[in-house]
This record gives sequence, structure tokens and C-alpha cells, in this order.
Amino acid sequence: MMKETYEAIVIGAGHAGCESALALARKGHRTLLLTISLDAVAFLACNPSIGGTAKGQLVSEIDALGGQMGIVADKTAIQIRMLNRGRGPAVQSLRAQADKVKYHTEMKKVVESCPNLFLKQAEAEKILISDDKKIVKTAVGDEFEAKVIVFATGVYLNSRIIIGSYTENVGPNGFKNAKKLSSSLKDLGYKLLRFKTGTPARINARSVNFKELEEQYGDEDIQSFSFITKKKIKNRAKCYLTYTNTKTHEIIQSNLDKAPSISGEITGIGPRYCPSIETKIVRFADKDRHQLFLEPESLSTAEVYIQGFSTSMPTDIQKQMIHSVKGLENAEIMRDSYAIEYDCIDPQQLNLSLESKLHDGLFFAGQINGTSGYEEAAAQGLIAGINAALKLEGKESLILSRGDGYIGVLIDDIVTKGTNEPYRMMTSRAEYRLSLRQDNADLRLTQLGRNAGLVDNKRFEIFLKKKDKLEKAISKLNDKLKIDKKLIDFFVKNKENPPKNSIKVKEAIKRSNIDAKKINEEFGIFAEFDDEIIDELNLIVKFEGYLKQQQEDIEKARKTEQVKIPHDFDFTKQKGLKIETVQKLSTIKPENLGQASRISGVSPADIAVLSVLIKKHEGEKSERKNKKDV
Amino acid sequence: MNKTIVAISTPLGSGAISIVRMSGNDALKIAHKFFAPLKKQKIVARKMHLGKFDLGNNFEKCMMVYFPSPNSYTGEDIVEFHLHGSTALTQLIQTKLIEAGAVLAEAGEFTKLAFLNGKLSLDEAEGIIDEINSESEAELRIALSSADGKLKKEIKEQQEILKNVLAEIEVGLDYPEETEFVDLKNSIIEKVSQVYEEIDKIISYSEQTKLIKSGVSVAIIGKTNVGKSSLLNALIGEEKAIVTDIEGTTRDIVEAKIDYNGVRFNFYDTAGIRDSIDAVEKIGIEKSKRMLDIANIVLIVLDASKKITKEEKDIIEKLKSPHIFVVNKSDKTRVLEKQKEEIEVSALANKNIDILKKKIFEKTIGDNINFNATTIANERQLEILKQAKIQIKEAMNLRDESIEILSLLIKKIWQTLGKITGETENEDIISLIFSRFCVGK
Repeated sequence: MMKETYEAIVIGAGHAGCESALALARKGHRTLLLTISLDAVAFLACNPSIGGTAKGQLVSEIDALGGQMGIVADKTAIQIRMLNRGRGPAVQSLRAQADKVKYHTEMKKVVESCPNLFLKQAEAEKILISDDKKIVKTAVGDEFEAKVIVFATGVYLNSRIIIGSYTENVGPNGFKNAKKLSSSLKDLGYKLLRFKTGTPARINARSVNFKELEEQYGDEDIQSFSFITKKKIKNRAKCYLTYTNTKTHEIIQSNLDKAPSISGEITGIGPRYCPSIETKIVRFADKDRHQLFLEPESLSTAEVYIQGFSTSMPTDIQKQMIHSVKGLENAEIMRDSYAIEYDCIDPQQLNLSLESKLHDGLFFAGQINGTSGYEEAAAQGLIAGINAALKLEGKESLILSRGDGYIGVLIDDIVTKGTNEPYRMMTSRAEYRLSLRQDNADLRLTQLGRNAGLVDNKRFEIFLKKKDKLEKAISKLNDKLKIDKKLIDFFVKNKENPPKNSIKVKEAIKRSNIDAKKINEEFGIFAEFDDEIIDELNLIVKFEGYLKQQQEDIEKARKTEQVKIPHDFDFTKQKGLKIETVQKLSTIKPENLGQASRISGVSPADIAVLSVLIKKHEGEKSERKNKKDV
Repeated sequence: MNKTIVAISTPLGSGAISIVRMSGNDALKIAHKFFAPLKKQKIVARKMHLGKFDLGNNFEKCMMVYFPSPNSYTGEDIVEFHLHGSTALTQLIQTKLIEAGAVLAEAGEFTKLAFLNGKLSLDEAEGIIDEINSESEAELRIALSSADGKLKKEIKEQQEILKNVLAEIEVGLDYPEETEFVDLKNSIIEKVSQVYEEIDKIISYSEQTKLIKSGVSVAIIGKTNVGKSSLLNALIGEEKAIVTDIEGTTRDIVEAKIDYNGVRFNFYDTAGIRDSIDAVEKIGIEKSKRMLDIANIVLIVLDASKKITKEEKDIIEKLKSPHIFVVNKSDKTRVLEKQKEEIEVSALANKNIDILKKKIFEKTIGDNINFNATTIANERQLEILKQAKIQIKEAMNLRDESIEILSLLIKKIWQTLGKITGETENEDIISLIFSRFCVGK
């Protein structure tokens, strides 16, 4: 039996675990990263893509804070598209087809070569906690000790996969699962939830009749996730679109008794946004077809992922279903579609820093917190890693607010409200969406990442340069465009009423048919700036009123968040709060007044009473202290 | 950045003076929009200032005092207006301040602020908590009463419409690859204007009910000696005002009440509008002018036998309140020009008085009373509905903005209405997305 000591241990090397471990190690802490299989490091277990609506924003935020996901996604992307062009600036999100094989090897390489970081294959089985000591015991009996532990176990806890009547206690893709760790967490007092998700079949590209199908290309003017990626990304793969049809639906309908999610064999709660095809057909019976996307898994394999076709039907039915679809008549199935059930913890047991309320020094990130998605996992992993490191350093946690970014929304949502299904990020969850754009993630967060000690000099200099340029460009908005024939012609050409006098650049941009780019092309005002800055200017001017309003709302919310609820404040001992309110407050233990106000069922009057009680508590404490001092 | 709150801090309807109080960073700024001290002095801290409050058509004389932060009750900037104790006037002034950016104070909010800013001792905490709880419970009790339950239900229906609009927009934004791009703008605007009309209806019902409860104020205005007093007598059917042939007999506003179709009408005869040197009469005239703002309707009395004078034209031009031209002395030869929406009467002969009453009723209460309208908003709910109405108007004017901005504005309206129904959870919209649309990989 081996015994070793580290400063930090991260359990699980998926998307959350890798970010956590890298953050800890890069901040100089000796970190052990345990994984159940070295072949499962940063494995894209479901679709071979990174980003998408709201998730693209998450990746850029991770990047701005000094995380790794964006860089690896850029490096291994084989097709990139910006979604929602034309529907508004804030909802534009980048989505990449990532090379699944390369993504894994690239991230593994980064982790392996990171100083202070030790990657090891082992199954964590038991957690032993005494005063200042935390020990992770592995299945083979080794003991690793550390001051902080990050749990990033993904869907591996007590997991089982289901295909028809077949079920096996394994992790995703047949990897070994973690059999005992969740009962150890239960022993430590954690409330566990049981969730479910699934992944569709993979088929061989050579067996698909692509000629029959609609092609989907990447963007021409390709953008990147990371603010420090310089190399131009190239589109090297195509996706295809096909549909289910009435025949497919008939096959499913007549075999519904064999579907475990419908027959009751699966009891875990699945996400509403990621329904299996049988669920879609039952719930939306009036739809005669459903979209299916065929996505290449990697340039180094022929496997093709069928997005939209996840099922837990028996394999013979799966085959019939797939073969009923146009273009897939002769498809060779390489991996069967399966559903997976797993344990996770109720995230309401965590603080906003992702540290456990039950135990000092235990942090949780990713799917173990009841979320879903690579990006959601990585975002939490990064924050848990940073905060575990800050804890080791005796510094205050990094807590992003809902106004700072999607990461703040994500963590506040799960910690304050909990979740009763795997939680997916959506732009509609962000009330300050207009301010939380992918293009300004660096402007919002890089300084915070620098303060937390994770943003290196190179990234920080790029950020400062952009900020400086932007400020310069903004100052030019007050320059005047002289009234002359050229100006009048310019307005007329753009179908706008020409001004009577000279006009500020800003005022010109405000016209709906004119933008900063057009002004620059005509008058060369912003000649020294690149497109990124010019686009930013446009947004700042065109949405000035809304952005200002949102900034004020964010500021207001910050004020309520600055009213901290002291650690020794016992909700159950307070007079004047309703019993239901006390119950809710003492379960969630909100850290500040703002968070308390977001707990469902807590009324504004409750918050008013709470604010008085906090003040009273603080006042009495300082009175007692004064007395002692005398 | 902090909000500025406002409330009427004296009991309504009793007492010679009522006080409207504001607290917050913008208190003085908002006050300046309406109040100017006489003789244009500067406003000094903790001093009573006599001045004029601009009511739009008119000025109201009142006292104002300013307590700058931190030496005030709440610790924030406070402005108080000390007014004549008229319910209508006090509420009007509060409404003006709200329109200018103040928000109606929550239960126990002034005291709460005083405590949080260290103005009260720790022992007082319990009393404040009781105050907050009892006031909010009182509000809750009203909210649970059946009449209010109906309002909530109707507002919830409007929220439901908006929620569906939002779900339709948001599903497209969050699942662009799985939803076809449809231009939703026209259908959105259509549905939102539907909500607008419903809310507008509730607002006018509520205001109607408020009118019925408090009575309709009718001011009678006109040049001296056109027969205002005799008109009043004809309307109420008894000798209340003194009728003489000497100009300027009616120095004070005479109040008289009648019940007509189950609604109480309060008539206010005003002193004749003219420049008078008589100090006593001047007070009467000041009051007359104020009446024009508070009245729900103004009867402009003209003499059929005389041409319209410059003075009369002036009054008519300045008057913004709803009004009816009453052409009196119809038994004499008509010399007066035809007026828009006029009614010819003879006060002395009691001719057409019933037609006039009917007209007054129509212009204030409407064609018919909705005696069964149980969807009545209280003061706070009414503020919320009016705010929602403004927000809807803004959204409808911005149809050229991107769908994302429209969504932002509609969500705001939905949240505003949520202050009445309690439904403000974003999760409700997300749930609707998944129950209505088949999305997800």
C-alpha cells in the first residue's frame, strides 16, 4: 500500500477535472489528478462538438479567465460556425465540430506536460476526513493525502448503461465506473440524486449515402473561441442533415414496450432538452419528422455521430429505426445508442465558490453537480480549481456574479435553486444576456482571472492592448463628421436623412442603416483598428441605452450581494421570519442578501425582514465586542 | 443608483395637512422638477420653504422641506411636501412624483432604511419587523380576497400570452439549428397589443371604480356672472350657492353632492375667473385654479347672449382636463359662437339640465357602469399596471429592433406584471419552451 501527500487532489480527468487540475497546478500547487482510465481524459463522450448557444459564451469566459478548453477546441476544430447571426449580437454563439480523438490527446498532452501536475490512473473509492487531513483511498488501497479535494467524477458514480433489456454497471462508452465513491459521499452526509442521459449510435461513414443529404458547411470568415488563438482555423469537414419519417415513427410506436425509459426500467431523471427519440415521438405525436444531424467524430476515424437520435431501444429495433432514415438505409452501426444513469449530488449543498457547505476544503464541479455538457463542466472545474487554490493560499474565493458572466449564472442557479434534471446552460437563463456576449468575455473577465492569479503575462498583454485600442476607438466616437457633399451623399446612399450640420460619429452610427464599418470605409475614421474593435464599437453605440440600463440593474444587484450574511447567523433562531422561509434559508444558507432573494418562495417582505435581522445581529456582535474590550 | 421611494405619510382623508415624503439619492432632483420656492430662493437644508408645486395646468401652493443625507430620518436625502389635506390632491402629487422616477415605498420601508442606516437603536428591530410583517400581511390579505383573486387571474392570463410569445422567441434563439427561422415580429406585436388593450381596460375599470367610490368631482368654471351658481342650483335642485346679480358673490368653492344613476357627483362652484384686488376673493380664485387640476371634469359655462371674451379664450386654451361647454341662458338670443361639444341649457328655466347630467356621467364614468367588474386594481397594483402599459408602448414602438431586444422588452413587461401575480421565475419560461417545442439533440 502506497501513501503520498499532495496539496490538492482532483478526482476525475474529464472536462471539469482537467480545468481544475490545470488551474491548481498553474497556480503553483502540487496536484494529483486521478482518472479511472487514462484513455478517458477529456473524452467527448457524447457529440463531437464544443460550443453552441450559451455554451460558446461559456467557452470564451473560461478562456478569458485563463482556462484551457477554448485553446484546445480551437486547435482541434474541424468545422466552425457562428450561430444566430442576424438574430442579435448577444445570442451569437460559436459552435465547433471538434476532432474527438485529437481533443482527447491534445488535452492529455497539456495536462501531462504541466509542471506540478501528476496524472494517474486509479479509482477513488473512499474519502477519509479528519481535522486538517483529507485522504483519498483508491480501489487498490493506496492513500493520497491533501488539504483540498475537487470532485469532478462526471457520470461515473455508480453508473449503469441501458440498451433495451440489457444493462451493465459501467461508465460511458464501456469505461469502468466508480462503484464505491458515491456511497462514501453518502456516508459523509451528502444528499445524492439519480440522473439519466443518453447518447446516439455511431455509424460508419462509408455506409452512408451522403449524396441524398443536405450538406452543412462551416463559416467562411471563421472565428475562434480563445482570445489568444492566432492561427486561422480551417474548415475540414462537412456535416449533413437528414430526417426521421413516418416509417421511423411507426417502428418506434410499435416497440414502445421495449423502451426502458417508457416501460419504467429507467428511473433516473433525464433532461427535457435532450430527449430520446422515443420520448420526442410520444410527447410530440403531431410532428411527422424530426431533424437528424450527421457529424463526423474525427478526421482519423470513419465514425459518424447521429445527433437527435439518442435511444435506449434494443439493438434490433435501433437498426430498423436507423435504416428507415433517408441516406442511412444501409448504415453499419459501430456503436449502439445507450442511456446512462448515474449518481450526482444535490448542488444546493455547495457554496457559490463550489466548496461544500458540509466540509471545508471539498470542492465539486461538473456533472457530479447535476449539470450536463462539456462546457458547463469545464466552467465549474475552472472555478472550483481556482477557489481550491485560493483556499490553499488563504485568499478570498473568486465568485462571479450573474452580471459578470454565464459562469456566474450557472453556479448561482444550481447552488441557489438546485436542479431536478441535468442542468444545461441556455441564453434565456441569463437576465443580462445583452451584456454577456462572447465578444466581450475578455473585457468582462480577464482582469478577474489576473487577480485570481491564473491569467499569464501573454494573455494579459493581449487583453490590455485590446482594451487600450477600444478606449482609443471610443474616444473617436465624439469626433465630428464635417457637413459637406460627401457626408450628405453618404447618408443618401444609405437611405438615411442627411444631417443639416456636422454630426458626431456616434450619432451617425446610431442611424439604423449606418454602422461603424460603413463610416470607416467612407471616411477612414477607424483605419488603425481591426474589425474586432469596429464591431465592438457598433454594439456599444447601437445598444447604448439597453446596455446602460443593464449596467444599472447589475449594479443594483451587486449592492444586495454586498450585504453578506454572517457565518454565525442562525436562521432558525430569528424571530419574525415565516417558518417556510426559515426552512428554505437554513437549507440553502445563502451567502448574501441577493442570493437569498433568488431562492424560490422567498418574498420581498422576507428580504426586508432579513436585512433588519442581519443588521441587528451585526450590531449586537459589535456591542458585545466593545463590552469585552472595555 | 439607489432607488428613491415615495409615500403619503399622513392618514388620507382626515386632517388639514397631508405630507408626501420621498427618500433616496434622487429625492431633491425629482422635487426640483415640480417645486419652486417663492421669490426664487435656494433650497436650504432643514428649512420650510413656501413655494409652488407644478401640477401641469396649474400650480399648488405648498410647503417643502429638505433633509440632506446623512442627517435625516432614513439617513438618505429626504424631501417632504406639506400639502392641503385633500385626498385627491395628495394622491395626484404622489402620482406625479412616481411618474418622475420615484417608486412607491414597500411595507415599512422608511423605517427599515432608518434602521439599516443606523438611525434607530438595535432594540427597535423587532418593532420594525412587526411593522413590515403586518403591512405586508395586510397587503397579502387584500391579495387573497376574492375581488383581487379575479384581478390576479386576469393578469396571469396576460402574462401567459407574453410567456408564450417569449417561449416562441427564446426557443429560436437557444435552438437556432432546430427551429426554422420565422419572422415573428408581426405576430408578436399583435399579441402584445392585445395585452395592452386588456391592461388598459383593467386600468380604466379600476379608475372608474375609484371614481364611483370617491365620487366624481365636477368643477364649474366661467366668467363672473354667466350663471354658474344658478347652474349648480339647477343641477342639485336646491338653493345652495348664493345667487345675486353683483359680480363676485361666490367667493368660496361651494360643494354640493348629488346621486345620479347610483354614482355620487361632487360639484364645485368656483369663483369667477378675473383679476380681482379683493384679497379674500383672491384666495377663492387660487382654490378655483387648483380645482381645475383635481376635478374629473370641468364645466365651462358661457353666456349664450354674449360673444366669447379674451379671458374666456385664455382659460379654455390652458385647460387640459376633460371638459364640457355649457351654454347658459339659452332662452336669450344666441350671439355666442358654436362650441365643440356644447350643451345649451337654461339654468333658471331648468332646461336641458338632465341632458347635461347624462353627458357628465358619460364623460366621467363612461357609457355604462360595470357594476360587476370585480377586476379592480388597488393603488399599488394600479401603479404596476400603468408601468406595464408604458413598457408595452415602448416595445410596440421598437418593432425595428432585433428580435433579441424585443425579447428583452417583453420579458420586462412580463416581470412587471409578475409583481401582481407573483410569477417571476425565469424557469417558467424555460419549462414552457420544452413543453411546447420539440428541441434538443
